[in-house]
Amino acid sequence: MARMKFLCDAERCIECNGCVTACNNEHDVPWGINRRHVVTLKDGEGGEKSVSVACMHCTDAPCAAVCPVDCFYTTPDGIVLHDKDLCIGCGYCFYACPFGAPQYPEENAFGARGKMDKCTFCAGGPLPDRSVEEYKKYGRNRIAEGKLPLCAEMCATKALLAGDGNVVSDIYIQRVNKRGGRPDTWGWATAYNFKADKETKP
Amino acid sequence: MKRNWLIAAIWVLLAVLVGCSSESRSVTMHKPGVYKGDSDELIAKSQQQQQVLNDRFKLVQTDR
Repeated sequence: MARMKFLCDAERCIECNGCVTACNNEHDVPWGINRRHVVTLKDGEGGEKSVSVACMHCTDAPCAAVCPVDCFYTTPDGIVLHDKDLCIGCGYCFYACPFGAPQYPEENAFGARGKMDKCTFCAGGPLPDRSVEEYKKYGRNRIAEGKLPLCAEMCATKALLAGDGNVVSDIYIQRVNKRGGRPDTWGWATAYNFKADKETKP
Repeated sequence: MKRNWLIAAIWVLLAVLVGCSSESRSVTMHKPGVYKGDSDELIAKSQQQQQVLNDRFKLVQTDR
């Protein structure tokens, strides 16, 4: 069984935010929520790179591991979804997620948190497929319609890919081979060795 | 006497207000590690959907 994955090719992403707009428009997400966001590294400097981030549908999802009411479930093809009727809006998943995927709509003028909302890989939630209730709570169920996430399908530069992880990685490997390697903008060196003189002045 | 009527009226009013709330009355008893939400129709379809989604991927997302 294939596992559905997102991959954003930072060499191709032009920070147009089209994926963010497409997602918000397709799912009519609550005000103040972006299920997807574009992160830019080295903004305004040489070697600037952007990457589009949303729920990565982790194989061993930390959000599901910390959820005190176990409102998460994973489909056989690896899409991590949740039941908003079980969610208590505690925020644990927000702290556990390394990608900042879980978002909370403001319920009232005092900023009280509502039920958690996150990217569903356009697969809706645990309500009848393509029903009005499902659309209102989780957004459009494109997977049930035989379509893939709109953010990836409308990406103008094909930077964002979404589909069977094996097919996605094949495409990315071909691109990397063609370019002759990957840039050092991100990765272990950036995350843990960001100071040039770290060895002498920790 | 008047005071008792007032208290009784307040209780009745409170009961009516509580009864009118749209909150669900059902309680889900939590069990660690067990998902107790509604089942998703998509889970049953996953196997059949795979080929359709792969075809869609090749059609829309591959380089031209």
